[in-house]
Formats: sequence, C-alpha cells, structure tokens
Amino acid sequence: MATTLGLTTEAPRFYKEPQRRGAPLYAIVLLALAIHGPLLFMQVQVNSFDTNFHIFFASHYAQHWWNPWNLKWFAGFSQTTYPPLEHQWMALISHLIGLNMAYAVVQLLGVVLLVVGIYRFARLFVDDRSASFAAIGCIFLGALAFLLYEAGQLSTTVSAALMFNALPYFYEWCRHARGKALFKGWMIALAGAAVHHVTLIFGAVLFAIPVVWLAVLDRNDEPETSLGAVIGRALFFTGLTAAGTGVVLLPYWLAILQHPIKQIPIPHASRSNLLLNGINGFNYFIVPYGTMLLAFPYIFIRGSQRRRLRPLLVGFWVTFIFGLGGTTPIPQWALGRAFDILTFERFTFWATLLACPFLGLLAAEMIDRFRRTGAIIMGAAAVASIGLALGWLTANPYKPATGFDVNPVVEFLNRDGHFNYRYLTLGFGNELSKVGTYTVASSVDGEYNSARLLPEFTHYGVGQLTSAKYYGTAGMASLRAMLAHANRYGLKYIFVHDPYYDPLLEFAGWRKIETFDGGLITAWSKESVPPAHEIPSDAVPPPWQGLMWGTLPMATSILAIFFVLVLPERRRAAGTVEFPATVQPAYREAK
Amino acid sequence: MKLAVLLVLATIAFLILGFVFPVHQASTPGIVSGEALPGVGGTGNTPEAAVRSLLGDVQAHDWSQAYSLLANANDVDKEAFIHDINGNYGSLRTFSSLEGSGTRVLNQSGDQALVRADMHWSTAVGPIYEVRELRVVQQGGNWKVVWPLEKQATVPPQVVPVNYLRWDVIYRGARDDWGTQNVDSPQVRIVSMNAVQHGNTLVVVGEVVNEDTVPAFVDMNAILVGKNGQDLDQENSFDKIQHTLLPKQVSPYRIDFPGFNLSQVKSVRMDAKAMLVPASADPVIAVLDQHEQENVLGNKVLSGNLLNESGRTVNIAQVLATYYDSNGKVIWVSDGYVDRALLPQTPEPFAVEMPDNTVGKVQSYRVTVNHYIRQQS
Repeated sequence: MATTLGLTTEAPRFYKEPQRRGAPLYAIVLLALAIHGPLLFMQVQVNSFDTNFHIFFASHYAQHWWNPWNLKWFAGFSQTTYPPLEHQWMALISHLIGLNMAYAVVQLLGVVLLVVGIYRFARLFVDDRSASFAAIGCIFLGALAFLLYEAGQLSTTVSAALMFNALPYFYEWCRHARGKALFKGWMIALAGAAVHHVTLIFGAVLFAIPVVWLAVLDRNDEPETSLGAVIGRALFFTGLTAAGTGVVLLPYWLAILQHPIKQIPIPHASRSNLLLNGINGFNYFIVPYGTMLLAFPYIFIRGSQRRRLRPLLVGFWVTFIFGLGGTTPIPQWALGRAFDILTFERFTFWATLLACPFLGLLAAEMIDRFRRTGAIIMGAAAVASIGLALGWLTANPYKPATGFDVNPVVEFLNRDGHFNYRYLTLGFGNELSKVGTYTVASSVDGEYNSARLLPEFTHYGVGQLTSAKYYGTAGMASLRAMLAHANRYGLKYIFVHDPYYDPLLEFAGWRKIETFDGGLITAWSKESVPPAHEIPSDAVPPPWQGLMWGTLPMATSILAIFFVLVLPERRRAAGTVEFPATVQPAYREAK
Repeated sequence: MKLAVLLVLATIAFLILGFVFPVHQASTPGIVSGEALPGVGGTGNTPEAAVRSLLGDVQAHDWSQAYSLLANANDVDKEAFIHDINGNYGSLRTFSSLEGSGTRVLNQSGDQALVRADMHWSTAVGPIYEVRELRVVQQGGNWKVVWPLEKQATVPPQVVPVNYLRWDVIYRGARDDWGTQNVDSPQVRIVSMNAVQHGNTLVVVGEVVNEDTVPAFVDMNAILVGKNGQDLDQENSFDKIQHTLLPKQVSPYRIDFPGFNLSQVKSVRMDAKAMLVPASADPVIAVLDQHEQENVLGNKVLSGNLLNESGRTVNIAQVLATYYDSNGKVIWVSDGYVDRALLPQTPEPFAVEMPDNTVGKVQSYRVTVNHYIRQQS
C-alpha cells in the first residue's frame, strides 16, 4: 500500500486485487513533476489570462500582509473579496525567489496535490492499479493543461486538489466515524475553501454527493452502518465545514453581504452555446476533454454496469452538463443569477477529474487485454490530450495580447511624481495586472470583476476597461464614463497599446506625450486633471478583519499539513483471503 | 445499461432545449458570433430574412457570404461593397463593428419589397445608429438585397499648397510633461453660459473664445451648486467642445449632468482651463449647404456637407452644431461623428439631430468641425 507524502488513507476493497500492480504513487508524482515542472518554471503560464492577476494579488500580500485594502485597482478595493491562501503562500515564497517563480512553485504543488488527490479519490471507486492509472491520466488532462497554461486558474486547480484530498477522509468519516479522518478532512476542506470560494460552493457539492452516495451503498459492508448514520455524519461534516468556512472566510462573507454582486452581467464565451460557435466549442469542449471524448462510451457503459460506479457516473454527468455552459439551459435554470457571474470551463475541468477513475479502469482493462499495444494506445491518447492543449496555446486566435514590454510604463509611473495621479491602460489585456504589480501608482481599472464598486463599471456590462472595445457599446460607454470623470478620480495618464482608442482620447481632450517600446505603446495626458485623492469607500475592511485575513486562512493550511503528518494512518494488513478459507480469518483489518 | 441510455437521452434532450430556450447574453469579448452547425439559424426565404441574413454576415465579417446575398452584385464591386460597410481611409467605420440590427418590412408587392434596417454600430467614439431603407427583390426564387452603394467621387491628381498658420512650442525638456512650460496660460473667456433642462439631464451650454494671440488647449468644467451652497456634482465638456482653439477662435461647449434638475441648483460654477499648445490652422474644413430637414424617421436634423479643403485625408470628423435663439443666446449644442473619411476636396454629407425642445426656438445655428488625423496622432 502506497504511503507517499503521508496522504494515503484506507480505501475499501470490493474487487479482487489484480495480480499486476499499478505504478507507485511516488513515481506518479515524479512524472507530474517531470511534465509540469519544466513548463511552469519555463513560465509558459505568464501569457495565460489570469496568471498576472494572481501575481498581482500576491504582490499586495507580500507588501501589506495585514491590510487587504488595495489602492492599486479601482481607486481602491478589498482583497477580502477573493480567498487569499494561495496568494499568501506565493507572497511568502516570493521573498525568496520572486513572484513569478513563487507562482510556479505554488502551482506545481497544486498539481502534485491534485495527482495525489485523484489517486486517493479513485481508490474509493476502483482498485489500486486503476487508481494509479487514473492519477497518471490526470497529469495529461487537456483540461488541466488548459487551466494551467491558457486560463492561469491557479485557485481552481489548487482548491480542487485540496478538495479531492479531503474526499477520502470524508468517506472514511461517513463510513467508519473515525475522528482522525474527520479532523484531517475538515482541515483540508477548509484550506481548499481558503483558496477558492467558487470551488467550495459549487465544486465541493458536485464532488461530495457521489462520495456520500457511495458511502450509502457501502453501508452494509463490514463494518455495517445504518443509512441514518451515514447521512448524519455527512451532514455533520458539511455543517462543520460550513461553520469553519464561515469563520475562516468571515471578511469575505461580510464583504459579499455588504456589496452583493449587482453589476450588469459581463459576457463570457464559456456561457455561450458551444454548438453555435466553432472556436468556442473547440476552446471549451474539444481542448479540455481531448482524447477523453473517445472514452465517453466506456465511461457511460461501465459506469452504469457497475453499481459502485453509478454515483461517480451521475456526478460526472451532472458536472459535464454544467460544463457545457449555455449549450443547454440547465445551468442557467439551476444557477439563476449565479449563471451570469460564473464561468464554466472550471466545471469541465471538474468533470474531467471525476472521469479519471473511469480512465484508470479503462487503462487497466486495455493493458490487461492488449498488453503493450493497449499501453501504447492509452499513452498516446494521454500525450495527445496534453499536446492538443499546449498546441492550442499558440493556435488559439483569441489568446491574450502579449509580447510587448510594459517596463517603460512602470518606470514612467514610478518617477517624477507621476504616481500622484491615477492611470489607465488600454489594449493591455492581462498585462494590466503586470503594470499594477510593479508600479506604485493607482489605476481606476482592474482585472477582478467582483471587486468593482465604481458606478462607471457596475452600470455597464463590461469587464476591464483595458479591453473596452471587445465589450462593444457597453465597453465604450463605460470607458467614456470613466474618461468623463477623469477629474474626479485624478485620472491623468493613459497608456495605449491599441490605436483603436486614439480617436476617443483625442476628441475627449487627452494629448499624446510619449511613446514606448518602439511606438507600440503611447502615453497620453490631460493637464487639467488634479492629483488623485482617496476615494471614500465603505468597503475598507476594519483592522480586525485584516488580522483575521492574515491569520486564519494560513492557519488552516498549516493545521492541515500538521494533522496529515502527525496523525497516523490506519493501515490495512495486506493479503487475500481464499474462499473457502483454510484458516479462520479473525479480522479483515489490523491496526 | 439503463442508466447510460437514460443519461445519453437526457443529454440529447438538453442539447435540443438549448436551441429552444437559448441563453441570452451579450456578444462575447473578442469573439465574433457565427454558426458551427450547418443550417442552424438559417436565412429563411422572406425579404426580411434576406436582410437579416445579410446583416448577420456583416456582423460576422463574412464578406463573401454577405456579397452573395446582393441582387445587384453585377453593379457593385465586392471591394467597394466591403469599403462601404467596413470603411476605408482610416474612417470611423474602420473603427466600428455592427453590434445589432433590427428590420421591418415597409412594403411588399410581388417580387419586390422595401425593408428598413436599423443598424447599431459600436465605434471607437461611442455608439452610432444608422437607418437604411433597402430594396429587396426576388431572384430565382430567393430574396436578395439591392445594395445602395454610394460611390465616392475621385479627385484628379493635383498639388494643394499649404499656407495656413502654424504655431510650434519649444518645450522645457524631453522629460517634461506636455503643458508644464513656464509660460503664461493663454487668455480664454467664457462668452456665454446657459443651463437648460433636457429630460432628466441638466445641460450647460455656451461658448468660449480664445482671446490670446497663441493657440490654446481648452477644457471646460462646471460645478453645480445646490440651494444650500454645497457642490452637487462636477462634470466637464468631454468631447462636446473644440479643445484646440486658434487665436480668436470660438468654440461651443456642452456639459451634461445626468439625473439633476434645474430646481435643485442655485448656481453653476464654470471653470475654463487653458494651456499653450502647438497647433495648425490646417486642415481647413468648410461647412456647406447647412439646412434643417427631416430624416427617414421623421426627426428634425441639421444637415449639410463638409469639404476638406486641404490635401490630406481627415480620418474622422466631428460636427458641433450651436443653436441660438432670437436674442443670440446659445440654447443647445449637439454633435455627431461622420463615419466616412473626409477626402481632399471631396464633399461629405453630415447630419446632427435637433432635439424637439429646440424646434421653433432656433433662430440661427453655427457649425464647427473637430477632426482626427491618424498620422498626426
């Protein structure tokens, strides 16, 4: 039985243990490090949509650990509107190796935890060997590569990794009522919640229901448990997690209650009907699922044939339907207003994770049946999946605009008192966050939609002003409103990386003053604008919230590590009992 | 197996429901909508469907498909058709995309119909609404659109001498910001100011003059002062002004205060900020044939022609119209952008709306023109 990283736990055995063994967990972890380590440390992710956003958040914690009020975006916003744990870890590590490398380290840890989590989760449903293949398959998931290198969704991947590691403990608690499992599962779940609220609210439910269902199915196995006990323990764990999350993320809940998201919905391609746009369909369906699509018939057939796999099949299917976004009306009907806030590529990612045990089972059957040919086919399919996702990084026609040097902009803002005014970037895409990370000046724009309180944003269906033109009339109306109130916000400098915006700036009274990066970037100024002053806001967190924010989320992760390392695992004695038994087995398990 | 069959059937049913109850959201940033499945969202065979299909192709930038829907393709060159819709010479239309459209059949008889197309363009300076009445004819059983191509006049090769005044400014240093020279600001004066109520918006209109002998860059700000002496709101003229004023030049301005009412206001504090800037009197854009008329929707507009008298193309022109009452008082300022480039020596039509509350009060009007030239900017 593998015990790598001290994260293994006892799993039920309901199949005859195959004679051939799967890959050991340490080897799978090494494979994950070998595949994703070089990609992350080569900084492939820096051109992704959200990486700079996460680095920006981490940079604030690196400088202001106890003060979540960040003046650099939206003329001031609270970082309590986004769970902080992954950013705080990045902030700590960044003092040693810098922000970019800290991101790579935290993300790589997330990948390792995900692989371990999938292995442990898969062992709830399939044998060890298939679980090891499931974990290997997870490394090559197109959806994982898509989220790591194109979307830059650090939080989604790390939080999912923690949740999948909590689930086996959750099962163990439901079935056996072991206190150690409860503490470990609870603390890991809290750490996952402290990484990403969306995964907690939506993903955890989708992950947990199949596990509870499985525990219910298994209740008659040794030791027998009543249905009420299983459900009661599940509810107790849920309540405990809800209460813990309520405390750990209290500043987040207070911020959301004080300023519910009422802004006009901001369009996102993952909410569209993927059948009506080839590019969207490829980006949000073909690339994430990759060659897993070929295994869909197997997943549905095997999942419905085996009683113990049915909860997983249904969980996968529900998540799959949600991942289709606006292709079916189900997500909108089920989620209501939340449909317009969420993006749905994360559901597709979760669906692929839930499908991993099936992939492991398929791989085991293929190898058993076709030997080397089967292994080659499964290996080639895995490589094709990640290859497609990585190739799509360059082929995607809507990849983020990058490839220009923002350092001159940062230097301009940081010198000669220019930081006394606010600034705006236009046509910078996700480089907006990079400028924000390294300048001391404040912008009226920002990349985090849910933190925006300025009416120039919330009254229009627009994301970032830097990409205003892509939001059509709403985007340009929002930009006009912001420029019209330049004096109010001390918005003096505008940096343009897209000449599309030049006419509006010129007609509105801005004058070009400098060019950077060989003319790719132009700086515009309006001289009548007074210096920026603090914009009064009721969203500034009080000091006690800053103290909580700087303490509790980090504490959950440290306690989770402590519990996992210190509390010993209950181990199962290896061996197969032949039937009819020649000797009387006293107990199936031994401590 | 029952479960697998059930889930597959449910998936198919949900996918079909996706077409029956489509999710409505605005177009996704950076992504042009289109079709992945052949036949989904097809054209239909009615005059209105033909126009809708054409506009859909324009929205998706599928020019070949749009061109194939023209009844007069033999008379209309494909390049000219694309330029007519998508613009050329760096005009405002080249900074535009069709965001939405509506169609209505005005009349239909036999194999001919007249369809009104309301087009909503998203442009670099804000939304533009365009109305075209399109003739649709039936050809070979299919309805096709007769595209009313407006041919651009071509000017013979010629030399245009430039002898207008130009003012250059020597800056203090390369690292100094524009406008921070150690020189006095040009003298500008607010000639008139008038606060009017327009719907739920309080509007301040007037004129400002550069009284100096050097060019001035002018920005107008206004602060509403409430009955109790507190400042209610501050706004500026934004693009409703000619920012660069040559010596003795007069510009209208308009400052909008949405959501405010005249009854709330005790006074308006005006502030004209002026700075010395380099400027040129070139290009000169003449305004010809100004007259009031009604547009196809029956609204009153001030229309005319702009003539670019220089030898350079003006990419984008903005028309500012000032309306005066019988006492010479400014009662309204309206503006509009011309979506075609002003080619040298070539008249280009314009029209700006006159609000209903000014009709009957307007005694005279004056049109001034702002411009944007890509090469200079």
